[in-house]
Amino acid sequence: MPPPIVAVDHITKRFSGHTAVDALSLSVPPGVIYGLLGPNGAGKSTSIRMILNIYAPDSGTVRLFGETGTGRDHSARIGYLPEERGLYPKMRVLDVLLFLAELKGVDRRTARTRSLEWLERMGLSDWRMRKVNELSKGMQQKVQFISTILHEPDLLVMDEAFSGLDPVNSQVLKDTILDLRSRGKTILFSTHIMEQAEKVCDYVCIIARGKKLVDGTLADIKRTHGGKHLLVNFDGARGDADRIFADRRLVAKADASGQFAELELAAQADAQEILKALVTSGARLSRFELAEPSLNKIFVDLVGPDAATAAARPDAEVAHA
Amino acid sequence: MRKVLAVIRREFVERVRQRWFWAMAVLGPVFFGALVILPGMLIGKTTVKRIAVMDGTTSTFGARLTERLDAESLFIAVRVAARPGTIDSVLVDSLRNAVDRKELDGFLIVSDVAVDSGKVMYRASNVSSPVTIGSLEHIISEMVNATRLEREGVNPALVAKARIPVNLDSKKVSGGKETGESAGQSFALAYFMGIILYMSILLYGINVMSSVLEEKTTKIVEVLVSSLRPFQLLLGKVLGVGAVSIFQFLIWGVSTRLILSQRRHLPGGGVNDGGFFQMPHVTTNTAVVFGLYFLGGFLLYSAMFSAVGAMSSNEQEARQAQQPVVMLLVASFISMFAMLNDPASTLSVTLSMIPFSAPIAMPVRWAAGNLPIGEIALSLGILAVSILGVTWVASRIYRVGILMTGKRPNLKELVRWVRAA
Repeated sequence: MPPPIVAVDHITKRFSGHTAVDALSLSVPPGVIYGLLGPNGAGKSTSIRMILNIYAPDSGTVRLFGETGTGRDHSARIGYLPEERGLYPKMRVLDVLLFLAELKGVDRRTARTRSLEWLERMGLSDWRMRKVNELSKGMQQKVQFISTILHEPDLLVMDEAFSGLDPVNSQVLKDTILDLRSRGKTILFSTHIMEQAEKVCDYVCIIARGKKLVDGTLADIKRTHGGKHLLVNFDGARGDADRIFADRRLVAKADASGQFAELELAAQADAQEILKALVTSGARLSRFELAEPSLNKIFVDLVGPDAATAAARPDAEVAHA
Repeated sequence: MRKVLAVIRREFVERVRQRWFWAMAVLGPVFFGALVILPGMLIGKTTVKRIAVMDGTTSTFGARLTERLDAESLFIAVRVAARPGTIDSVLVDSLRNAVDRKELDGFLIVSDVAVDSGKVMYRASNVSSPVTIGSLEHIISEMVNATRLEREGVNPALVAKARIPVNLDSKKVSGGKETGESAGQSFALAYFMGIILYMSILLYGINVMSSVLEEKTTKIVEVLVSSLRPFQLLLGKVLGVGAVSIFQFLIWGVSTRLILSQRRHLPGGGVNDGGFFQMPHVTTNTAVVFGLYFLGGFLLYSAMFSAVGAMSSNEQEARQAQQPVVMLLVASFISMFAMLNDPASTLSVTLSMIPFSAPIAMPVRWAAGNLPIGEIALSLGILAVSILGVTWVASRIYRVGILMTGKRPNLKELVRWVRAA
C-alpha cells in the first residue's frame, strides 16, 4: 500500500487559551478527493494551515508525500487556495500568475505558456493584461484557482473550496477537480456545504470543535452512520400501512404522508419483513427502495445542533509559530 | 534564493511601473532645484525703498546720511528738516500718514544724540526684511563711526581707508589639503544630504510598510508564506524597494548632472553664483559615505516599518502605529540643524553614534567638516550591529503579524511574539 499523501498525527493548536484543533489525526491516500468537513469554527482552516506549515502545531506531526520536510519544503508539489481569497489588486493578471508560479519554482517561460493555456481554457484570455481589480469577483476567483495549479501540484489543498462561487463556476471547479484526480493528483478540501462534498468526495473527515468525529470513505461512513432508510410510494391502496409503520420492532421513525413515506428502520429490522407485511395487508406499491442517508443528515446527526453553531473564532488569532 | 529574486523582481517592476515613481524622478530635481534657488530669489528680490530722513541734527550728519542712503541702489532718500532738540510730533504724524498712503516705505528720525548714543529710530510699513534693515544698520553705523572718529580729530581720508571691508575667504581643509570648498558649499552639501537622507529613508521605509500591509489586507500573504519563509519574503521586499530607491537616486544623479552642465544656458542660472547657497562639489568619498548611511538607514528603518505594517490590519491603524518610528526619524532630522552649527560638539558626536540618528547625523557631519575615519568606522559598526538586532526583532513580529487578524497587539503581546520560538 502506498504511503498516504498527507499523514496527520495528533496535531493540536491553541490560540490564547482556546483550543482550535485538538489531537486531530487523519490520512489522505494518494489519488483521492478528500473532504474535511465541519461547521464554521470547527478548526478546518487551522488544520489546513498546520498541514501546510503556515502555522506550526503545538504538538503532533504532519508528514507529506511519505517524506520528511514541512509543507513549505514541499511547496513546489502543493497548490494552496486559502479561505480568504486575494491577489495583488494593482498587478496585471498575467504578471500575478507568473509571480506566483515563480514562487513555486516554475521558470518564467513555462509559467507563461501554462498561464496563457489556462486563461484561454477559463475564458479569460482577453483579460490577461488587465489589472486584477478590473476583473469581476468570479473572474478573480478563476485567476486565483489557476494560480494554485500552474505548477501542476501533486496535492491540491483548498480551504472552503466552493464558497462564493456561482453555480457555473462551481461546476467548472468541480470538473477541474475531477479531471485532476483522473490524472492521479490528490485533492484535499474543506467545506461546510455537504451537498458539494457528497458529489465529489471519495473520503471525508468530519470535525467539530477541533476534534475528529468520524473519517473514512464516504461509502463506509454512509453504511455505518445514520441507519437504513426506506422510501415507500403507494399506488392507491395503503392496506394496513399505519399499523405496520407504528411497529417499533420494524420501524424506528416514520414520516408518512398520503401516498409517500420515508422510514428509518429499527436496528434489527429486515426491510423484507416490512415489504411482506405491507403486501399481505393489501397495499399496492409503486416504489419500495432502500436508500442511503444523505451526508447532510449524517453530519447534522453527528455534529448536533449545538456544535453546528460552534464557538465563534477568537477575536485575534495569535500563532505561536 | 530564486524565490527571493522573484519577490525582488516583483517589488521593483511593480514600483517602477507606477506613475508616482516617474513623478518623483522628474519632480525630485525640480524640487531640490527650487530649494536652492527660491530662497535666494525671494530674499534677493527687494524693491527700492523710499524713505524720508527726519533730520533734527544741528550738524551736517542728517544731510550726509541722506546723501549716503540715496547713493545706495536700495534706497531713495529725502531729507525732511526738523527742529533740533525736540521731536516734532506733527511732522512725525504727517510722515506716518505718508507711510499709510504708501507714498513712503518708511522714515528715519535722526537727532544729535545719534552720533553719541547710536540711537536712530526707523518707522516703516515693513520692518521684517533682513536686507533693508541690515543695510540701514550697516550704513548708519558706518556714518556714525566715521563722524565719531572725525570729531576726535582723525583725518577723514584715514577713516575712509579704515572702512575697507574684510572679505573672509574660507576653504575647507580635508586630509591636509584645501578642498576648494567654501563654508557656504559645505553647509549646502550638509544641508542637502540631510534633507535627501531624511526624505528618502522616510519615503522608502513607508513603501516597505505599505507593501507589507497590502499583502496582509489582500490576504495574499497566506499563499506567499505557504511557498516561502516569511523572512525570505521580507528580505525580498526590502531589497526590492531598496533597489527602486537606488534606481531613483541614479536618475536624480544623472539628471542633476545634466541640468548643472546646462546651467549657464538656463534663465536665472546666475542666481546661484556667490549667493547664500553654492553648488557643492561632491567627491567620491562623500558619495560613498552618503551611500553607506542611506543603505544603513533604509535597512534599519524599513525593518521597523515592516513590523509596523505587519502588526496593523488597515491603513488607518498603520498610520497610527508608524508614529513612533516616524518621530524617531523626524527627531534625527531636526537635530541636524543643531549639528550644522557645530559638527564637533558632544551632541553632534553622540547623535552620529546612536544608530537611529546616525544615518542622517553622520553624513551631515561629514559634509560640514573633516571627520576622523575611526569615528565613521565606529558609527558604521554600531549601525550594522543595530540593523541585525532590529531586523531580528522585526522579522519575528512580521512572521506572526502577517497572519494575524483582529485588533492591534499591545506591547506585551508584541514581546510574546518576539519571544515565541
